[in-house]
Amino acid sequence: MPSSSWRCALGSVVTLLAICARAQAQQQAQGFATERLYLSAPGAGWFVMDALDMRGGLGGSFALTVGYARNVWHLSDGTRSVPIVSDQAVADLGAAVTYDRWRLYVNFEMPLVIKGQGGTIGDRSFSGPSVDLGSNPDTLTDARIGVDMRIVGTAASRFRLGAGAQLFVPNGNRSEYATDGTYRGMGRVLFAGDEGAVTYAGQLGIHLRPLNDTSAPGTPRGSELLFGAALGAKLPVSPSGSTAIVVGPEVFGATALRDFFGSTATALEALLSARLEGTGEEGLQLRVKLAGGAGVHQQFGAPDWRVVFSIEAFNHNAR
Amino acid sequence: MINVPPNVRCSRASRGARMFVRLLCLGAATQVLLVSESARAQAAPPAGHEEEAFDFMNLLSHHGLHNLDDESWNAYGQFTYISSWKLAFQAPYTNANGSINSLVPDAERSFTGTFTLFFGLRLWPGAEAYFVPEVISERGLSQIRGLGGSIQNFELQKTGSETPQLYRARLFLRQTIGFGGERVVKTSNPMQLGTTVDRRRLVLTAGNYSLLDIFDRNNVTGDPRQTFFDMAFMTHSSWDFAADARGYSWGAAAELYWDDWVLRLGRMAPPQHPNVLAVDFRLWKYYGDTLEIEHDHVLFGQPGAVRILGYRNNEVIGRFDEAIAAYQSDPNNNNAGSCTGFNYGSGNFAAPDLCWVRKLNQKLGIGINIEQFVAKNIGVFFRGMYSDGKTEVDAFDPADRSLSLGAVGKGTLWQRPFDVAGIGLGMSWISKIHAEYLGMGGIDGFVGDGGLRQGPEGVFEVFYSVNLLNAIWLAGDYEFIWNPGFNRDRGPVNIIGAKVHAEF
Repeated sequence: MPSSSWRCALGSVVTLLAICARAQAQQQAQGFATERLYLSAPGAGWFVMDALDMRGGLGGSFALTVGYARNVWHLSDGTRSVPIVSDQAVADLGAAVTYDRWRLYVNFEMPLVIKGQGGTIGDRSFSGPSVDLGSNPDTLTDARIGVDMRIVGTAASRFRLGAGAQLFVPNGNRSEYATDGTYRGMGRVLFAGDEGAVTYAGQLGIHLRPLNDTSAPGTPRGSELLFGAALGAKLPVSPSGSTAIVVGPEVFGATALRDFFGSTATALEALLSARLEGTGEEGLQLRVKLAGGAGVHQQFGAPDWRVVFSIEAFNHNAR
Repeated sequence: MINVPPNVRCSRASRGARMFVRLLCLGAATQVLLVSESARAQAAPPAGHEEEAFDFMNLLSHHGLHNLDDESWNAYGQFTYISSWKLAFQAPYTNANGSINSLVPDAERSFTGTFTLFFGLRLWPGAEAYFVPEVISERGLSQIRGLGGSIQNFELQKTGSETPQLYRARLFLRQTIGFGGERVVKTSNPMQLGTTVDRRRLVLTAGNYSLLDIFDRNNVTGDPRQTFFDMAFMTHSSWDFAADARGYSWGAAAELYWDDWVLRLGRMAPPQHPNVLAVDFRLWKYYGDTLEIEHDHVLFGQPGAVRILGYRNNEVIGRFDEAIAAYQSDPNNNNAGSCTGFNYGSGNFAAPDLCWVRKLNQKLGIGINIEQFVAKNIGVFFRGMYSDGKTEVDAFDPADRSLSLGAVGKGTLWQRPFDVAGIGLGMSWISKIHAEYLGMGGIDGFVGDGGLRQGPEGVFEVFYSVNLLNAIWLAGDYEFIWNPGFNRDRGPVNIIGAKVHAEF
């Protein structure tokens, strides 16, 4: 029957168009820098916060930090969860120079493993990264150059106030989920202090992030507010007091300014850290840090859990 | 051991006044590099710095803030921009029958720009850690195709692009164990902390570095960023040393220094496929082994050295005879255009290809490296190497036999003590079976014109480097290359080069 044939043909065309339209609407999401552990400057004490304890003389520090995070970024469409970035192991090498109240530093991040799975969420398809030392034997991701300055207080005062700025120089491919592919900047107000055996630090700042992928779920939405605080107990280990251990939590996070503290655009993470450090005013000191933690609010790059280890050689040189 | 000859520097006078200008120049140059996307970073080690140099460490030392003689840390940097202009040349055929590796006969410009930082840290007595991040931007002539052992710019990398790329060039640990003898001063330099060591000592190195950091050093040719432009003078052209596509890799080496003798032994990880960046870490299965014996001497009051180097690579590479046999047994299927495994993309369906025969094979070679100073600041050098020539290039260049010789001198005679001038000749050959393979239209890494009338590829180079301020050099260079790609049918090629080099 002609009418039946026409109906069949029309139905086929409509179906085909619908499939095509769906295929066209499905867009490939590009990657972005999923790492939310914005390490403090080499020699700055905490993992994320800055102790602002520059001693005045010319000093310096070198730091090697190695961390692993599980399920850094996973998306869900309500029925299933896709771990786009399931494993992320990164080494970070940094060097800093301190003088007077200033600290100038540079950090280079080396991905050891970044793995994940691909999948489709909504109208977006995501490709999981596949980075390892064999395929990427010399990869460095975004380099970071920063400066911190203490404005109020002394190296060991009850309250110290300072400011810091960082520039991220893009490097690498977005598909590796280790870079936004754009320059980024950070401006932070820093505070810290020591009172007896109690030590604390905190930050509030802006992460100037040009990348805005609002249309793709769980991706950056432009600039972010950074926040965080740390509190620890500082206890002498050696009878002479030349070595101390600091134990305490660090809580930090970020939220997109466009969706201020929105549930899908806010990351919150907590670490319990311990560090063993030399406390000498002169000469080369050693600091060994270990932390473990989890994403408190696991959106936007906060992992299921994370472990971090760091070793630093530093020289404060009091003036 | 021979002391590294002094490098190019200015007097200390007016250092302070010039420093600002230098920093401005350096900053501007770096900006140009990063913004204009104009720039292989050299796998060879950098030159030593002198007391007269402007650099961060000397600056600290002069202010009493750093002890250069007994360093716990140091930090240096360099910037190098090289531009090469290739003039048009004659070639009766280019990329014949779908081949892809010819040097194109049209005029072309190539460049590289590199910016490098060198960090060193003493970890415990005798232990040093080094970290070297580097940025490169580059454009090769004909995409670095068509030249065998005389690629015109040693900085070119096989994986580079015009977009600046930041990568980790080196990250390694060095442990020195003293066995006594006289004390030898090691001056503060990039990848060398200032210290004093025993003349008899064992030095162990492990990590990510270049074989050229340890083996086949030559104090006359020194740091390529200070001397010759052409890769033929950086090391033996026919030494297919294990490395990734940038010239670095992972491995370990031991050096035994015993008075005037040095014995070196090392194992390095090869690339996963020939000439790619990915590295195979199964060092027990795939590797490049190197053995070198060095003797240092004094001849007519001037220092010199002789080094014998042998290497054996155990890698997944193809033999030319097997590629030819595979093609002849089934030309319709086993040809270059029909490759299904790793290949370089030749479209020649009437040529053999190594893609059909890659498996675990060995490559062997032995070479000699001689340096001799004839006056305080003038030296001559000679390198010669013979490799078996049975297999393809895995990491460096396609030459199977090579020699290079020349002279490098500083401008003391004409009152420009920090200028550097040099003249050199480099020659490279391929084996008979290699030539037969290329003649049938096959390609090997970077050469293969689709046809071949075999001849030695040669380069004659002359350069002059003018020192401006304490830490900046401007160099002009001319290279004359004949039989490019070992092919008598093509060339000769004239290349004019210029270089800006800064150290800080």
